[in-house]
Amino acid sequence: MTPHTSSRRLFRWRPDQQWEGYLFILPSFLGFLVFIVLAVVMSLGISVSEWGLTGFKGFAGLINYQQLLRDPVFWQTSWNTAFYIVTIVPLQLALGLIMAVGLNQAIRGALVYRLIYFMPVVTTIVAGAIVFRLLLSTNGPVNSLLASAFGLFNLPFSAPNWLGSSQFSKWSVVLLTLWKNTGFTMVVYLAALQGVPRELYDAAHTDGANGWQRFRNVTLPLISPTTFFLFIFQMIGAFQLFTEPFVMTRGGPANSSLSVVQYIYFAAFRDIRMDKAAAMAWVLFIFIFAFTLFQNFMQKRWVYYESE
Amino acid sequence: MATIGASFSGSPTRLSTPARIGLHVLLFLFSTIMLAPFAVMLVVSLIPNTAFLARDFSPANFSLQNYVRTFEAVPFGRYYINSIVVAVSVTVLQILISSLAAFAFARLRFRGREAIFLFYLATLMIPFPVTLIPNFLIVKNLGWYDTYLALIVPSLFSVFSTFLLRQYYRGLPLDFDEAARMDGASSLRIWWQIIVPLSGPVLATLSIFVFQGVWNDFLWPLVVTTSETMRTIPVGLAAFVGQYSTAWDLLMAGSVIALLPVLVLYVIGQKWFVQGIALSGMGGR
Amino acid sequence: MKLKRMMGIGALVLMMALVLSACTGVGLQPAAPAESGEQAMAGEPTVITWAFWGSPEEAASHKRVADAFMAEHPEIQIEVWNQPWDDYFTKIQALWASGDAKVIPDVAFLWPTPRYAAEGVLENLDPYIEASGYNLDDYWPGLLESAKFEGSVYGFPRDIEANVIYYNKDMFDAAGVAYPSDDWTWDDFLAAAEALTQKDANGMTTVYALAAEGGKWTKWVNQNGGGILDDYTNPSTCMLTDPASVAGIQFFADLMEQGYAMRPADLNQAGGDAGVFSSGQAAMILQNTSRVSAFNAAGMNYDVAPAPTPADGKRWNGAGGAAWVMSSGSDNKDAAWTFIQWLQSDGGGQTLYTEAGEIFPALQSVANSPAFMTDQPPANKQAIITEAAASDVGGFGYFPEWGELSGSIIEPGMEAIWAGEVDVESGLADICTQVDQFLADNEYPK
Repeated sequence: MTPHTSSRRLFRWRPDQQWEGYLFILPSFLGFLVFIVLAVVMSLGISVSEWGLTGFKGFAGLINYQQLLRDPVFWQTSWNTAFYIVTIVPLQLALGLIMAVGLNQAIRGALVYRLIYFMPVVTTIVAGAIVFRLLLSTNGPVNSLLASAFGLFNLPFSAPNWLGSSQFSKWSVVLLTLWKNTGFTMVVYLAALQGVPRELYDAAHTDGANGWQRFRNVTLPLISPTTFFLFIFQMIGAFQLFTEPFVMTRGGPANSSLSVVQYIYFAAFRDIRMDKAAAMAWVLFIFIFAFTLFQNFMQKRWVYYESE
Repeated sequence: MATIGASFSGSPTRLSTPARIGLHVLLFLFSTIMLAPFAVMLVVSLIPNTAFLARDFSPANFSLQNYVRTFEAVPFGRYYINSIVVAVSVTVLQILISSLAAFAFARLRFRGREAIFLFYLATLMIPFPVTLIPNFLIVKNLGWYDTYLALIVPSLFSVFSTFLLRQYYRGLPLDFDEAARMDGASSLRIWWQIIVPLSGPVLATLSIFVFQGVWNDFLWPLVVTTSETMRTIPVGLAAFVGQYSTAWDLLMAGSVIALLPVLVLYVIGQKWFVQGIALSGMGGR
Repeated sequence: MKLKRMMGIGALVLMMALVLSACTGVGLQPAAPAESGEQAMAGEPTVITWAFWGSPEEAASHKRVADAFMAEHPEIQIEVWNQPWDDYFTKIQALWASGDAKVIPDVAFLWPTPRYAAEGVLENLDPYIEASGYNLDDYWPGLLESAKFEGSVYGFPRDIEANVIYYNKDMFDAAGVAYPSDDWTWDDFLAAAEALTQKDANGMTTVYALAAEGGKWTKWVNQNGGGILDDYTNPSTCMLTDPASVAGIQFFADLMEQGYAMRPADLNQAGGDAGVFSSGQAAMILQNTSRVSAFNAAGMNYDVAPAPTPADGKRWNGAGGAAWVMSSGSDNKDAAWTFIQWLQSDGGGQTLYTEAGEIFPALQSVANSPAFMTDQPPANKQAIITEAAASDVGGFGYFPEWGELSGSIIEPGMEAIWAGEVDVESGLADICTQVDQFLADNEYPK
């Protein structure tokens, strides 16, 4: 009998945990009911109503949802958001892990590097977005660098119009998001890496595993709960991307960088279509919820927990 | 598996010299990219708006004038106090509440645990513009409009923090709880005396994250406050962005001032963070 | 098992939602107008909350106006409520959503007026106008249309966007181009543009003849006899594929294609038209009077001219502007009316704002008074009057859904054209398809 199963049995023997469990979650659950569930439920009600500035005007059934499905801008923003997810999530995980592994080595200045990588995380996003507008402008520093690089190697490219073309505007948002959030991924990964027991490396080392094999077979599985957490967290962040395109491109040009949440915001506060905004949010919500269920199911295949 | 934990180590192996140099080059490159926007921010904050619009970066233009003017143009000191009060209260209370719930979700067995948690998780994805108006109405009906309560209380209940802590608590070996329970410790005691001290790194990370989130939050404070004396820094900074023109100089100076306390907190937190890791290295066991 | 439980929760949530939305629906009705709080106590001034957007400096100028009013009307006290422009609308909507008369401003600065009037939060000003004999004929032609809903006046536009060409005299002199005349045409403009534009060896423009914001396109379309919609209060179809409209858009797009005009996205990144005009990157801009004080402060050598018109076209200026409105939930409506009327009078608010160089006034009498006709630059103030006098509908829709239609479909569609990503004809055809579908979806014409 392993200690693992014995601990499970021990837990089941304690009937008082039933009530303790409820007491522990009570403060959180009360606030959750009032400020999250109630708000969300109200928004569901709004989405099936005709809802104006001063509130309820009448029931609308599914009209708001039907209108939405016919709305080309909604589909455009859905596509944009999908683009943000498939670019931002993997890039951020990969870059954050590379940084964390690099900083997890015995090197000088690790603390300074870590501070530098984390600085964007604590910066006001509005200021960051405005600075990126300057950096990525047509004659800005980034394009000057690119132009001289292309010139140096005689490449037949010209520097892109980052903010002013439909082709690149989404990439500008991706770059800003990576700059802003990769530091957070790095810190979380670093905390996870530092929790990996040394003995396991030593054992793997003795077995003749090389650096990559140790990383692949020891580190990655052990930090998989962290990867799962970051994955979910970044998915949600990417689904809800708002401030970055809002400040940097206003969603343009031609709605090419408009995210779903930004469109929801416009519907609610520019067009005073609270009902349409709520319907959009619910479509988005159902989609993400389905995805999370799927992930929660899938995680059993690749996430490893010690206490299970 | 669960019995291992005698020593945790930050650095698995020593690197060879070429590998170390290569690593430094890579890390330095990342640093340059990360720092470049700050350089721009600093430069813009040090020159007058007219010089910036004309892209005139001659040294004669540089001065700290904008920083002084930021405090003159708006009651920035008051915004600062408000931001600190709100950010500190939210950070401390939110983590406490989330930690209790996360402990239950990760380490206590009770009926409906998984269902409730999934319910929590699902709401994590509700886009905030939609809860904005309902929450505003709730706060208004509670009589909290334009008070600290409106700025603080609705932010205390974070599904995200609960989720993060639960993930971490699930990773801690169950032996500790088991041993303590044998000694007759209550769940509350296990949480406060064993689990919380063991969560140093994650608490450091989370508090910095929560603090900066509240510190930089814009839409919510905007909507629930109206008087000048209740504004927070981001709401105050927005005053520099006008319909026809933006006071880039003041905006950037204000952003740099706003950045400082979070950075200081991070530097302090980082020290503690390393200690936390050393402690949770369970050397004390 | 798990799935079943989940579905149970889902059903529960849905039920709660329906019940709650019914409850909140009742609770959210705007509060009934408070029982006559007017001059509750003799001697105590009536308090009016006055909402506007603006930077701290702009707010200071509004406060001066409020002080001037209170000096004349000691029985009314004005409390200002100021928010930055970008956040003003989010904020004021939240206040209205609360239905609480105590926090809703009595008088507010608002745009677009019909959208809010349709929500029932604004007071119909017709009875007040009739009772006081307030003169509506002094407004520029078409301007009041932008503040009307279902035929009634719901607000008074404070100013009017009179878009003129600002030109840099030094650059015209250097290029040997004659200053624009008051009746110059598109052809004259093209000739000047060609002479003023400077290009490098690769054919890239270094100095532009014109920098104009993308949103200024309505001028070219309407001058040429085209339009956006067939009717601006009750539209049935999109008019942008009309040959006259297409030609107007083509004129603007060609200016960019030939490198004479800066593309709007580039202009935006370069710091806006004020920035490129003062730094000499553009010889002309098309803009309203909001730039005058900055250019005067910088001591620029410039003047203004009316916009060029097509040879067989007409002069046209978009009639619209943000307006002072009264909240229908106000509990001091008579005092609010007194204030609004004073704001929009010669010798009152209009004159003070105009003297401060903040606005080009909505009232013709104030524009022709010394308040506007100063000896400060620009010398050719008559050009601004000329454009304002040609004001007409055609730039905006005056129905509640206009903001959504313009913001989600028309302007984004135009951006694709200005970026050179689609050609004019197919870009406009695409816009019109979407506009027509939008109109049908919203049951227009009504």
